[in-house]
Parts: sequence; structure tokens; C-alpha cells
Amino acid sequence: MSLIVATEKLTKKYGDRAVVQDLDLRIPEGCVYGFLGPNGSGKSTTMKMLLSLIRPTSGEAHVLGRPMDRATRRELLGQIGSLIESPPGYAHLTGAENMRIVQRLLDLDDQHIDFAVRTVRMQDQMNKRVREFSLGMKQRLGIAMALARQPKLLILDEPTNGLDPAGIEEIRELLRRLADGGVTVMVSSHLLGEIDKTATVLGILSQGRMIFQGSRDELFSAATPDLLIDCSDPHRAQGALARAHGCQLENSTLRLTGIEDDRAVAGVVAALVGESIGVHGVRRDEQTLESVFMGLTAGGGL
Amino acid sequence: MNVFFAELIKLKRSLSWAVVILLPIILVASGSIMTFIDGRGLEDGWNTLWMRSMVFYGLFPLAVGIAILASLIWRAEHRGSNWNALMAGPTSSLRIVLAKAAVIAVLAVIMQGIALATVLVLGKVVFGLPGWLPPQYLAVSVVVVIACIPVAVLQSWLSMQMRSFAAPIAVAFLGAGFSAFLLVVGLDAAIFVSPYAAVSRATQLGTATFADTGDITLAVLAMIAVASLLLSAVLAAANTLVLERSDART
Repeated sequence: MSLIVATEKLTKKYGDRAVVQDLDLRIPEGCVYGFLGPNGSGKSTTMKMLLSLIRPTSGEAHVLGRPMDRATRRELLGQIGSLIESPPGYAHLTGAENMRIVQRLLDLDDQHIDFAVRTVRMQDQMNKRVREFSLGMKQRLGIAMALARQPKLLILDEPTNGLDPAGIEEIRELLRRLADGGVTVMVSSHLLGEIDKTATVLGILSQGRMIFQGSRDELFSAATPDLLIDCSDPHRAQGALARAHGCQLENSTLRLTGIEDDRAVAGVVAALVGESIGVHGVRRDEQTLESVFMGLTAGGGL
Repeated sequence: MNVFFAELIKLKRSLSWAVVILLPIILVASGSIMTFIDGRGLEDGWNTLWMRSMVFYGLFPLAVGIAILASLIWRAEHRGSNWNALMAGPTSSLRIVLAKAAVIAVLAVIMQGIALATVLVLGKVVFGLPGWLPPQYLAVSVVVVIACIPVAVLQSWLSMQMRSFAAPIAVAFLGAGFSAFLLVVGLDAAIFVSPYAAVSRATQLGTATFADTGDITLAVLAMIAVASLLLSAVLAAANTLVLERSDART
């Protein structure tokens, strides 16, 4: 699979403070890349470096197969739509006038503009001034402005920020449609739930470092879920296992963490049977992506 | 040209129109209205009227007016993420710099047109002068317009860089004041260094005030025009280089 974005040890420092450190970003073409991390973890800074809005202190970024720097940026930016921090838009102008500015700047024909406006379902709001828009409408106009150039890559920084659940669902659905149409989408969020179901590849950032990058399945397997055991004498079992493993009793179920492979599971069961405790249930805990995410970011020293 | 047309769309419903129309009318009129109030006559007719209105207007109101226009034009970019959006597009830094300066210069041209019209209305309607404004003042107006260009380029740069509304206007006010001082002491060469001096000097043409001899010669017209165009080119090139190398601040 070819990569539409690849960075090598991308680093941004302000004085001694590293905001982004040694980032090796890998975004496959055609995916929805969920870029996750708590506020202040360096997501916006990274995205700005991918657009050459700011220059990296060291390392480099390759976008659309070419190095992204001040010499190449204007050529590459014609194929990249972006929405950084808050949505753009001149407040004293109408939605239509804002789109006309984009049309002039990018030398687009009317069909491109119509298509972008219809894609975000804003065609009935375009004669209102942007200052009268709700936040959701501003976000959608901002996405339309990014889409009008029919980008190969779309970089959206927290596009669901401040939206109500219906608005969030609408953006999710839009991202899915765009990806189906062949656009690679990089979307950041500090809330996993917002892009959990949309993203096909995830990158998790904590304090400027990538602590995980891969598919959803890989993320699940990166953090082993707890082992849950039901047995005939939970209290005695807890005593027997407490020394060797961290073992908690929840209701009448034993919860063991850090039991990774099948052999270790068999060892635990054998130990209980050796103590004449009847084992009638051994299973893995149901794990949400949220808890994995929390575990990873906490491990990264949040 | 497309970038320039995009800039023109941004002028819709802009406050800058109020500045373009009201500032020259009020300040050109206030320069000569004292004549009317204290009963002094216009000894030399149109020449005296031009001197009293235009020289005052050119000392600092014109530069400050262009500074206000630049701040208004840039205010829209500094709000929200508009500037990021513009810089994350394919438009080159040079074209952005030129389009911004051009739109401010065009407003300055319209402002000069209104200033000229105000002088004409004052002369005919308020003072009832015979005849019309001598044609050499039309040539002077063309040079004033040319001298507005480097001021537009510089103020656009200051407003881009400072991200403040008032600070670039204060710079224009101080710059115009200092430049007026240089012209008073006869340092005519200041027009090659200070855009404010160039525009002030242009408004003094033919009035025998400050560094002016009173004669409008082709040589002096050409000197101011050349100085203005040189300053504009140097400032625009420097602005482009700085913009190309600087990082987004928000």
C-alpha cells in the first residue's frame, strides 16, 4: 500500500520544549486516519508541519510522494484541503461570497463549488452571512472550502469540536463518504469516540510522541485485555493467585491483568485445579477502544 | 489577477468604504475651512485653495488613512483561521503580498479622487472661485496616487506582521510626522527612504511649502514617481521574503 503522508523523525521545538518529537507518521492512501491525543499533545502542530504552515525543527515530511517544504508547498497545497483549528470564513460575507473567494483563488469552475457545497448540505444556507452561522454551519462551510479543490488529501483538525451529537454523526458520515470516493482523510480529535467508528488507521499521540500507530485490531492486540475467571471458591482462589499475579475479586469473578499468552492462562487454571478449586469459566474481558486509549495515554505519562 | 479579484470580493460590506469616502472629505475640507471662518480670502484663487487643503491633508491624514485601510483589510485575515487557510492554499507569497497592497492602493486612488472632487466642490460652491482648478494639479494628483503605492505596501506589511489594528496606524502617524520634519529641514532625499515622505512631498508639489520651490517641473514629478516605484518594489520584495520564511503564529 502506498503512503500519502510519511514523516521521518519530524520534530518541532520551541526553545528547549519539544512539542512534537521524532514523529514517524505513516498514512496509507485512501484511508481515514484518526489522529488521536489529549489536548496539547502536538496534533495541530503536526498538521501545520504537514501543510508547511510551520517548519519542522528537524526531520522531514513527505506528502503526496514529495518532500513538503517551502519550495514545494504551493504546488502541493493545491491538492490538499485543510481545516486547521477553527473553521475559516469571512464573517462579514455570505457563505456564497466566501465560496467565490475560494473559486477565484483556486481558479475553479462553478461545478466544483456546487459539488463542495452540496456535499456538506449547505446549499440552502449560502445567502446568509457567516457571522449568522451556527458553529456547525461554519464547520461545514470550512469543509466545503477545503473540498472545493477536489483534494487528494484532506487534513481536518478537530472538525467535530463543539458540535452536537447529530452534527458529529453528520461529519462522520461525510468522512466515510469522502473516503469511499477515494479521498484520504486525516482527522484529529481528543475524543476517541468521535472517530472510533470512522477511522481505519489510528495514530495516538501523547506529549508529542507517537505511542501507537496501526489498525483498530492492532490497537486491541497491543493492549491485552484482562483475564476473568469464575470458580467454585473465589476467596481461596484469590489467596492462591495473589502472590504470583495481580488478582482482584469483582463480585465472585477473579480479574487478572497482564496474563498475555495461552500458556500463562493454562498455568493459572492448573494452579487453581492443583488447589482443588473447580474452574467453570475462563474468558477475556470485553474491551472498549476507549479503555485501550486511556491505558495507552496513561502509560505515556499523561 | 484572480487573487486581486478575490480581495475585491472581501471589500463587500467593508468598513473601509466609509473611510475612503469620509476621510478625504472631512480632512480636505477642514484644511481650507479655516479660511472661510476667519474671513481670510483666497489670495491666489485655486492655487491658495489647493495649498491650504492638500498640503495639510498630505502631511499626515493621507498616510494615516491608508494605514486605517490596511488595518481594516488585514483585520478580516487575522480573525479565526482565515490567515492559516490562505497560507495553506496554492497562492504564492508574492501574489498574496501584491494583491493585498494592490487592493489598499486602489482604495487610496479612490480616496485621492474624492479629495480632488472635494477641492473642486469647495472652490466652486463654497468659495465661488472663477474658472477651474489649473490642470497641473491633475498631474500632481497622478503623482500623489503613485506615491500612495509605497505607503500601501508598507502599511500592508505592518498590518500583516503586527496583527494589531492600532499599532500600524500609530507607526504611520509617527512616520508621517518624522518625514514632515525631514522635509521641513530640506532633506528632499528622504523620499527615497520613507514612503511617508514621498507621499507628503507629492502633495506639496507646486505650493512652495516645505521643500517645494513652487515650480512643477517634469524633473521633480519624475523624481517622486521613480522614488515611489523603487520603494514599492523594495518593500514588496522584502515583505514577500519575510512572509515566505515565517511560520504561522496561531
